Formats: sequence, C-alpha cells, structure tokens
Amino acid sequence: MTGEFAVVMQVGEFVPRGTRQAVFQQIYWVFLVLGTLVGVVVVGYMLYLAVAYRAGPDEADDDGRPKLGEIPQGGGKGRKLFLSFALSAVIVISLIVWTYGTLLFVEQPASAQEQEELEVEVTGRQFQWVFTYPNGHQTTGELRVPKDTRVRLGVTSADVFPNFGIPALRAKTDAIPGQTSDTWFMAEETGTYAAHCYELCGSGHSDMNADVVVMEEEEFQQWYENTSNGSENGNGNGNESA
Amino acid sequence: MTGDTTDDTDDPRPGGETSGSADGESTRGDGGTATVGDLPTTAPDEDHEHGLPPKSSIKRWLVTTNHKDVGILYIVTSLFFLIFGGVLAMLIRVQLLEPGGTILSDMAYNQAVTVHGLLMVFWFLSPFAFGFANYIVPLQLGADDLAFPRLNALSYWLYLVSGLLLAISFFQGNSFSGGWTMYAPLNVPVYTPSVGATTTVFALLLFTASVTVGSVNFLTTMHRMRAEGMTLRRMPLFTWSILLTVWMMLFAFAALLAALMILSADRVLGTMYFATESPGGSLLWTHLFWFFGHPEVYIVFFPALGAMAEIFQTFTGRRLVGRKWFIGAMLLVALQSFVVWMHHMFLTSINLQIKTLFMATTIGISLPFDLMVFALIYTMIKGRIRFSTPFLFAFGGLVLFILGGITGVFLGAVVLDYEFRGTYWVVAHFHYVMVGGVTGLVGGLYYWYPKITGKMYDEFLGKVHFGLYFVGFNLLYFPMFVAWETPRRVFDYPEAFVGWHQVATVGAFVLGVSFLVMFYNLYASLISGEDADACPWAYGSTAEWAVPSPPPLENFPGRPSYGGGALEFLDRGRTTTDGGETEAATDGGVKAGGHGHGHEEVSHASIWPFAIGIASLFVLVGLSGVRTGNVAYPATFVGGLILLLYTLVAMTRESFHGPSGPFGESWPFEGVENTKLGMWLFLGSDVVLFGAFIGSYVFTRVAYGWQAWHVVPHDPIPGLMNTYILLTSSFAVVLAMVAAQKGNRNGVVASLAVTLLLGIGFLGNKGIEWWELYHEGEWVATSIETSTFYLTTGLHAAHVIVGLIIAVYMLVRAWNGAYLDDDRPVEYFGLYWHFVDIVWLFLFPLFYIL
Repeated sequence: MTGEFAVVMQVGEFVPRGTRQAVFQQIYWVFLVLGTLVGVVVVGYMLYLAVAYRAGPDEADDDGRPKLGEIPQGGGKGRKLFLSFALSAVIVISLIVWTYGTLLFVEQPASAQEQEELEVEVTGRQFQWVFTYPNGHQTTGELRVPKDTRVRLGVTSADVFPNFGIPALRAKTDAIPGQTSDTWFMAEETGTYAAHCYELCGSGHSDMNADVVVMEEEEFQQWYENTSNGSENGNGNGNESA
Repeated sequence: MTGDTTDDTDDPRPGGETSGSADGESTRGDGGTATVGDLPTTAPDEDHEHGLPPKSSIKRWLVTTNHKDVGILYIVTSLFFLIFGGVLAMLIRVQLLEPGGTILSDMAYNQAVTVHGLLMVFWFLSPFAFGFANYIVPLQLGADDLAFPRLNALSYWLYLVSGLLLAISFFQGNSFSGGWTMYAPLNVPVYTPSVGATTTVFALLLFTASVTVGSVNFLTTMHRMRAEGMTLRRMPLFTWSILLTVWMMLFAFAALLAALMILSADRVLGTMYFATESPGGSLLWTHLFWFFGHPEVYIVFFPALGAMAEIFQTFTGRRLVGRKWFIGAMLLVALQSFVVWMHHMFLTSINLQIKTLFMATTIGISLPFDLMVFALIYTMIKGRIRFSTPFLFAFGGLVLFILGGITGVFLGAVVLDYEFRGTYWVVAHFHYVMVGGVTGLVGGLYYWYPKITGKMYDEFLGKVHFGLYFVGFNLLYFPMFVAWETPRRVFDYPEAFVGWHQVATVGAFVLGVSFLVMFYNLYASLISGEDADACPWAYGSTAEWAVPSPPPLENFPGRPSYGGGALEFLDRGRTTTDGGETEAATDGGVKAGGHGHGHEEVSHASIWPFAIGIASLFVLVGLSGVRTGNVAYPATFVGGLILLLYTLVAMTRESFHGPSGPFGESWPFEGVENTKLGMWLFLGSDVVLFGAFIGSYVFTRVAYGWQAWHVVPHDPIPGLMNTYILLTSSFAVVLAMVAAQKGNRNGVVASLAVTLLLGIGFLGNKGIEWWELYHEGEWVATSIETSTFYLTTGLHAAHVIVGLIIAVYMLVRAWNGAYLDDDRPVEYFGLYWHFVDIVWLFLFPLFYIL
C-alpha cells in the first residue's frame, strides 16, 4: 500500500491533489473536455455516415446485401472495429488510472502533509444532522469549522440510511446505522455552506439540510473553547483521541 | 460462412435430404419445399384457431397460450404501465417547477419518485421488451411456440396482477415511499408503516415470480427448440440479446427474490434482518439489491440493443460488422454484470481495496459496449440507409446511449463518483442509458408493428413522433446534467437551477405529447392502415419476415429448416398420418393452412393461468394487511390460498400438449427433455435463492461477531435426526423411480408413501423443535439470531411442504396406475426432492453446529 503510494507521489504534479474542491474541479474539467470531444467526434461521424450512405434513387443491384431467410451472418472483418475499440479502451483506461492516484490521496490525505486536523462525528437522524466535537459538545443542524484546517468527518446514522454531503466543499458519504464511514474536507474561505441529504430517508428528506459555518481559525478557537466545559484539549489541534 | 448463401429463388433441395422427415412417401413434384421467396403474403383464413375463440372475443385473451397472443398482451399492458409511470413523472416535473415544490406533499412526492422508478424499470421496460421477445423469438428460432405455453400465459397473468397490486397499494394508506432501491432500514415498517408499502413489496415479489417462470420458459425454448441448422452461433441478434437477457434474469432475479422474501418477512412476520439494530442490515440490503440491480441495467438494455442491431441491418441494408465480436461482447457483459455491483456502494464503509477492484471491473464492463457501439456505427458504411421511423428511433437511441455511456465513464472514476453520488448527474446518466434503450425499443415497436398487426403505420406521423420525442427527450434530460448539483429525490434545490428545471419540465411535456402522437398513429393505423406485406422492409432477413403479417397461429407453412444454407419450409413429419395433406403442398407454393390439419387438434386454450393470477391477487392482498387486525385480510388470504391450490391442481390435471420434439437444434441439451431442462433451470435459480439466504445469514453473523452469535437450537439432535430422515426419503424416491421403470405399481405406491411419511416425519420433528423453542421464548421476532434461523430453515420447510403436496398428488395418481409406462414425472420430482435434501445438508451444520 505504502509502496504504491510512493510511486504515485513521484508522479508529482501530474496527479491532482490539494483541497477536494480543487481536485474535483481539475478532474471534472478534463473529463468534460475529453468527453465532449469524444461525443462530438463519434456522433458527428455517425451523422456523416448516415448522410453519406443514405439510399439514393439509383437502385443498384443487391449483391452482398441481406437476403430474406439467409442464415444470420456478419458483414466485414472488423479491423476498423478493433482499431476504434483499442483507441476507446486506451482513453477510458488511462483516464481512470490517472484519477486513481487522486483516489489514493483522497482516501489517505494524512500522509500528504502534516497538518492540523479537526475530527467531528456526524449522526443523521430523521430529519436532521447532529455534530459531535472531540470535547463532547453537540450541535444540531450547524457545523462550525476553522478555515484552512482539514476536517475529518465520521458519519453514521441513528435510524435510517441517509447520506451527508457538503456540495461546495466536495465532501460526501453514506450514513449507515451501526457503521461509520469517513470523509474529509478543507475550506479555504470563510462563509456558510449548505449540507444536504443525498439518499432518500423518509418524508422530510427534501428539507434535511444543515449549515456548515467556516470561521477564521482564531474565531473558531474562541467559540470552541466556550463550548467545552472545562475541556482542556478542546482546541481541535491534533489531539483526536475522541 | 461466406457472404453468398443459396439463392432464395426456387432451388429444389436434393430429394433425399428433405424427404427423410416425410418417410419418403411424399410425391413432391419439383421438390416439396417452400423457400421463402414464394410464400403466401396474406394470413390464411382464421379457421384454424386451435380451439381458441376468435381475436375479437375477450375470452380469447383470457385463455390464450399462444406466444404471439401473449406477446401482444405484454406489449399492450406494458404501454399501459408506461402511461401510469409517465403520469407520475409529469407530477414530479411539475413539483420541480419551483424550489420547494408546487403541488405535492413530501410523502406524495416520495411515493411519486418511488413508484415512477419501480413502474418504469420493472413494469414497463422489461415487459415491453418481452412482448417483442414473446412474439419474435420463436419465429426467429423456427419454433412453433415456447416450450411451456401455459407457463408463458402464467408469466403474463402474474405480471399483470403484480401491476394491479402496485396500483392497489395507493389505496391502502399510501404506496411505498422509500425509493425504487428500497434502502434499509427505511423499508421496514418502523419507518414505512403503511399497508400499501407492504403491498408494493408483494407486487415486486409477484413480478419476480413471473420473471422466474418466464426465464425458465425462454431458456428451455431457446436451448432446445431451434430449427434445423439454427445453431446458437447463427441466431439472429435480437434472439441473442434475449438469450443473454434471460440467463441474467434467471440468476439476478433469484437474488432479488431472496431480498424481497426477507423484506416481506421483516414486514409481516417481524424478523429483524433490515432493522436499524441489525448488525450490517443496511449493508446487507445494498449488497442483495445491487447484486440484482446491476445485471438489471443490462437486462433492460440488452433487448433494446438487439432490436437496434436488427433495425440497423435492415435499414442500412448491411450485415452487422464484426457480428461474432458483437455477440462475444454481449456475452462478456452478461458474465461481468455479476461482478460490478459494489460500484453503487463506493460511499459506504467498504474499504479501498474493494473499491479498487470494483473500479477495475466497472471499466472492464464499459469496454465491450464501446465495441458494440462501433460495430453498429460501422454497419452504416456502404449502406443504403432509409430514414424510416424504426431507423430514426434506433439511430437516435444509439446517439442517446453514447451520451449516456460517456457520462457513465465519469461515474467510473471513483473520485468523481464521490461527488456525483445522489445527484442529478446520476439521474441524467441513467435516463440517457435506460430511456435511450426505450428509444431503441420504440424503434422495435414501429419495426414489428406491421408484422404483428398486418397493418402499416403512418410514416409521416411516425416521423413527427420521432421529432417530438428526440427534442423532448433532450430538453428533459440534458438540463439535468447542467443542474447536476441538485440532490436526487429532493424538490428543494438552489435557486440557480430554477431555469434548467423549468426547461426540463417543458421537455417532459413534449416527450409526453410525442407518445400521444404514437398512440394515435398505432390506433388509427390498426383501424384503417394499409395492409402490410409479409416483409414490408427491403433487406429484412430474419425468419419473422418470411411468414405472413400477422403470422398464422401455427407460425410456419412447414417445418422451418436452415439445413440447406437458407431458411426453407419442409413438410412436417408429423403430417404423414394423413398423406394426402402433404401432397397438397407440393409444387413449391405452400397452401397455407392446409398443412396443419392432422397434427394440432388439441386445444391451446387454458383458463388456469388467468385463474392462478387472480388467486395470487387474493393471497397477497390478504397477506398485506394481516397485522392490521382487520379480519377481512386474513379471510381474503385463506380464501385466496384455497383458490390458489385449487387452480394449481386444476392446471396440472388439465390435458395440454405443448410443442414436443424432435427439434432441429438443441445444443447443448440434446439429451435432456424439455420438462427436465425446465426443472434444472428452476433449481438453478433456487440455488441462487438459497445461496442469497445463506449468504445473508453468514454476512449478518460476521457483522455481529461470529463467536458472539447465539446459536438458536441449543440441541443439535432434532436437526441431526432430520438429516437422516431426509436422506432416507431421497432413497425412497429413487426406489419409486426404479419401481416405475419395472412397471411395479405397488412398488411405486409404497415408495412414494414412504417418502411422504418421512417428509411428514421431518416436518413433525421440526414442529416439536420449534414448539419447544417457542416456549423457551425464542420465536421469530425475538432477535436477529432467531430471525435468521426461523426464516432460512422455514424457507427450506416450505420447500418440503411443496414437495409433499406434489407427493400426495403423485401418490393418488400412482394408485390409479400412472407412471408405469412413463416414469419421467417421478424422476423430475426426485430431482426436486434431492435438491431440497442437499440444501438441508448445508443448513444443518450452519444453523446447528457452527
């Protein structure tokens, strides 16, 4: 695992890393541009063929055309078929392999840099989100986090199977009863972001939202220290034993 | 296989080759075979309806077992469900006109998205395709009908009744509201308590039963009943797509059946598999559902692909480029479809290694589709392309599928999938793929409409339909890509997307209107359309175009054969009882309708499939509300059960003859008789069913902690005794078969009686065991341990009970002297019984020892 990772690291700049927003944006655009290109070429070629070989008024002889009652058989040897197949396979496989490096990074960002981290437990219940900080402080419907800090979320559910996602920060994961699934994000700007539920979870699904408030680091510290009742290590800095 | 096949003009085959079947007594002049060039082009008089009432009579449609009639029933019914699901889609789109919704309450919206999904995937798409499969596949194979015509009718009636159940569910509180994926634990009564939600689950359960019956039937037919020379490799592409589809169906739907049976038990018996407290319950559901759900994607898409391939060949006037690679690619996809399911679960707690593996298999399965798409595209080269309505739809369907495929590659990249999960990107993607498939099938509808009705549709209106359809489709689904950040199944979305959602709603109405044009066209053409020729398309090549439109009830004017290098119709060996008849069809032109006189006098009508469907309706409606305390529910249930048993016995006792051999090509099952193959296939799906149950038990127990698990039966002795009892009873069945072969009536009766008694002993022993456990406070709903124990061994006990009912029936017949000259029924019962026995050999150690 680590060996694999080291290789990817050597590839360096080629593999997108950074905040999840940046990572997503890069990969998404590459896919979008290539996808559009392939789509335009293939559909354009189809349209060209359809026009070029449309039936004309001159009915030439029917040699080599399908006959009623013939044994079904193929036409053409398909050399071109394999060429285009190989081409498409190369495009698809290289795209996916390219993103795999980023997947490894997204799954294990800790080894990228030594950074301050905050770990918050997220519990979904019909139809709200409850956030538990390392010091035991709980909030409902609002998650406060410091800017420029990696926030790790351990997401679970107290009843059904919702999914917690903060679209603008590109963090999302399933909330499964009895299990914890992890995700993380890092906000580069302060402000209030929306979190939604991304899996149908009952009648209140459409309104199962939460606010994610990103604060200046100092501001966050102040707020956080006030929440903890005599909790000395409630500074969110690295001590993530909770 | 070279390009030039035998000419399709009169080409007398060497006499010896064809007369073999007619015992050489035929006095054909210039070769008594009809080649396809000189076929009658109009339907014969309908004076030969095999005991069926005329098509104008309603009774005809209740009792018919003919594959073409059943095909029409499927198509018409599925279109009805398309309207049903389409109306729900309109409601969804109207609700999305503004963020926060317009006309529906939360619960109404959730029901709308749920039932829309269920209807379109299950009750419209697959049955629509299987309407064509029913009609066309036997024609393309050269078979007179499906292997089990009454089971085919039964599949249809169970399908219709299951759809009715879904409709009924709306009137029982509310229908299911947890999405078509029915994620646990939202699917258990704690969170979705309405009776209607239970009925929805039952509707799907019954639909699954219908699919299983249909799969067994199609597989038997397609493997056993092909015309001479119609080897598997030579099968037309539509038929190939259906063959692979039904293979996937047989196994995938068995997994769904297991999931739904467990869910039903959770909802009705109070077992706790999917409860919030159940360790791994939520994940268990996702595994079971997606193990079925991903093959299901190909199950709904393959028939469209097959139809598109046929249409491309006909309307380009070219044979498919790389045909064998195309088939190979489909085969590969069918196999791979069972190893990609976890890509629906990338955001669950599965680990990175598993994600990587499933990412790889997912890319792997996308590549064969590239090949298929290119094969279709290259087929156009040097074509003589005619832009008739079927081709427009097939071509349009391919374009849409390509867009769906490209956007699917985005989802294959796990990092992107993380962000697309639960958004409109997914919604847009799978609508491009699935409704792209629908587009191909609509092409199929226009393509085969003249064949099925004998009338030509209106080409102008067809083109209008395509124009509206294609524009409406893209207006509807393309904005979903742009507004992809909208969370799925949510009607409160960011203001920024309002415009896009409103465009989509407009597109939805354009798409809906396009179908009104289609319905008008098809209806008006049926009344006053021009009569269609046997082959209204230039370059139509497959066998359905070689028979009149619509084909006569018996399909072919003779025995179809490809033995001479092209389709020809030989005299039927079976008509030789009446030599004069065969001679009537001598001079190359077949006298339609004249040939079949001697051989099909038996009635092809049966009311019992319909009756069984009605009985199932009562059983399931009754069962849905047994926990409400309303006496009407259990009463309906018991009444339905009695009716069901009665109709099943009546159908078994009815004298009915399906097509019997010898058939031309039966590879690889030449040595297996139809019924036996059907039994094997059924048991194959049963293996998956039990596999899923056992897998669920193991999965749950591992999640719980294998050692911490409390083994329910504290005493393994009753289980051990039962193992011996079952083994002995299997031996008794073997004795019964031996006695039947020796013609020893008393031996058969005695051995069957011993089997029956041992079976009753097994159940009695189990009853005592359960009684004791019950009194120790260990009952079905006590804990997750007892849930798995009672449900899994209970499913096995239900198999034993079914076996005993059959044994009683056979015992009575054996007493009256049956099976002495034909021991096959005893053999088939034995197969089933041994299977049930073997299952116990797995269950005993798993639930009593480990």
